[in-house]
Amino acid sequence: MGRGWLRVVCNALALLLLVTTNAYAAGTLKVGVAGPLTGDQGALGQELKNGVTIAVEEWNAKGGLLGRRIEIVWGDDQHDPKQAVAVANKFVNEEVVGVVGHFNSSCSIPASNIYRDGGVVQLTPASTNPRFTERGLWNVFRVCGRDDQQGGAAANFIVKKLKKTKVAVLHDKTTYGQGLADETVKALEKAGIKPVYYGNITQGEKDYRPVLTSIKQTNPEVLFYGGIYPEAILLTKQMRELGMKTAFISGDGVWAKEFVEIAGKAAEGAFITFTPDQTRIKEAQGVIQQHKAKFGTAVGAYTVYSYVAAVLLFEAIAATQSTDGAKIAEHIRKTKWKTALGPIQFDHKGDVLVSPYVVWEVKNGRFVELQ
Amino acid sequence: MLLQQLVNGLTLGSVYALIALGYTMVYGIIELINFAHGEIYMLGAYMGIVTFGLLTTLNLMAPDSALTLACMMIAAVLFCGACGITIERLAYRPLRTAPRLSPLISALGVSIFLQNFVMLAQGPRDKGFPELFIQGGIDLPGGRISAIQIFIMTTSVLMMWGLHLLVRRTRIGKAMRATAQDKQMAELVGIDVNRVISVTFLIGSALAAVAGVMVGMYYGLINFYIGYIAGMKAFTAAVLGGIGSIPGAMLGGILLGLIESLGAGYISSEYKDVFAFAILILVLIFRPTGLLGTDTSKRA
Repeated sequence: MGRGWLRVVCNALALLLLVTTNAYAAGTLKVGVAGPLTGDQGALGQELKNGVTIAVEEWNAKGGLLGRRIEIVWGDDQHDPKQAVAVANKFVNEEVVGVVGHFNSSCSIPASNIYRDGGVVQLTPASTNPRFTERGLWNVFRVCGRDDQQGGAAANFIVKKLKKTKVAVLHDKTTYGQGLADETVKALEKAGIKPVYYGNITQGEKDYRPVLTSIKQTNPEVLFYGGIYPEAILLTKQMRELGMKTAFISGDGVWAKEFVEIAGKAAEGAFITFTPDQTRIKEAQGVIQQHKAKFGTAVGAYTVYSYVAAVLLFEAIAATQSTDGAKIAEHIRKTKWKTALGPIQFDHKGDVLVSPYVVWEVKNGRFVELQ
Repeated sequence: MLLQQLVNGLTLGSVYALIALGYTMVYGIIELINFAHGEIYMLGAYMGIVTFGLLTTLNLMAPDSALTLACMMIAAVLFCGACGITIERLAYRPLRTAPRLSPLISALGVSIFLQNFVMLAQGPRDKGFPELFIQGGIDLPGGRISAIQIFIMTTSVLMMWGLHLLVRRTRIGKAMRATAQDKQMAELVGIDVNRVISVTFLIGSALAAVAGVMVGMYYGLINFYIGYIAGMKAFTAAVLGGIGSIPGAMLGGILLGLIESLGAGYISSEYKDVFAFAILILVLIFRPTGLLGTDTSKRA
């Protein structure tokens, strides 16, 4: 008898919870924000969170969108493609007006099909794999650059600046990591350089000494790694421990303060391809200062990008006065935008027309843009 | 290359062996696979970082002194030892006479609880382990042994030797062996079985704690999930050597480390875990009791 009562009470409570949350959310405009919000890449998710939060607060202070308050629906994909699909379905079911995300290419790509079928616009701040926009979807945009551009920049730097020919290439088997590594190899081969080693590692492992020992056998001058910062930390640390003097080059996934902080001395002299210094873009100053005031830290690699992706979505909704995905997408495609990253224009695929990549170096525990 | 992979394998293996001892000792005494043992090792790593943080932020010690490391180890050992005893009291002792599946489920529950507890208390992100005083290494023809690898191997060997002496030469060791042989008989001749079981958990947890701190130093990164993988590997090592056999756990750990390292270096790093578990399956097919295990049916 007592048990039965308990069940009734529990169900009533659960029902009450559902009712209240729905009643509360009825007057808002929902925007989906997805990325690795927890787990080993939580730092990247934090960038996305902070960037979008600043944008939403700005707009809500101005009175919201279409006369309604903007509400963020968080989706944690934990950089797992399967989770990303689940998150995407949840967003479509909740009828979000648009999505900022996902962060990892391996998540953005499968999720984009679900958004297309649901009629939802997707703006990624950070997925750099070319395939995201190459499949001819009407609803996808990316605010950042592409890995073929980035790989070209890395190869160019190895060949022209470092003047090295013995390159080992390693990646983490993800869409992003392998894509970037392969684009770099393509660009190197155009310059007549064939990698002395090409291999991969598994994300989330802790001991890469066996692989590094094999790489050491080939005596490379440069190691190019396609992947994200947690593995890059371990790789650099363990490389130095094995006494390897090889130069370390990687892409934007490693441009994270954790890389420099945790890898410490091992990160010194590492090269990272990334976009030019955002602190020197005058339009970005507002966001950077707000971030400092609100979160007490400097912006991460893709904080401003996340902010810009959110603002583009809001401005397009405001301009079209509509929540219809197709209309919003069309407006984003044909407009010349003035953003916190400077002027932006999209091509028909959804890529930005200009995306310069430069090389950064870790000097005295800080990322410094090479001139 | 071969020398380097051997060194890597032995380092990894000695850590596996330390953790495997906990599984094997507990199984030997109460015939329970303590699935929360991997989490004890994870707690040891976290306790090491917390201690380091306390000592250095309060400026009590220099971050690169040997004393700091000693304090980290001692704090981790005390904390994990207490955790081990408590877990046994709360989660296993009430179920000692229950069907064998119950304590196993209880152990899984403790494991999930501890993982999530640490995730919430310390955050889900990777934590960087401090660079301690052990730096540098020795270059050999065809490889390099880093100081930290030497440290890990030496500490592990000393620990195992200590355990061997304890089990063979002391009164409590004798009581442990008696309890492992026949719990009821041991009780009849006046051994306090509950105390013996507590001591077993204490020792196993202490070894795992030391392994946790050392692995933290070795990799430089820890998170709340490391106990799961390490626990799986160490459990495999214990079964490989013969569950319930102390020398077996040591041998199994070392073998597993070597198999993984050589497999990763010479065949493919992708299949590293496959080799480890394939060997396990083969051993179980041809020698169900493990390499050094004894047939339990004869023991009774």
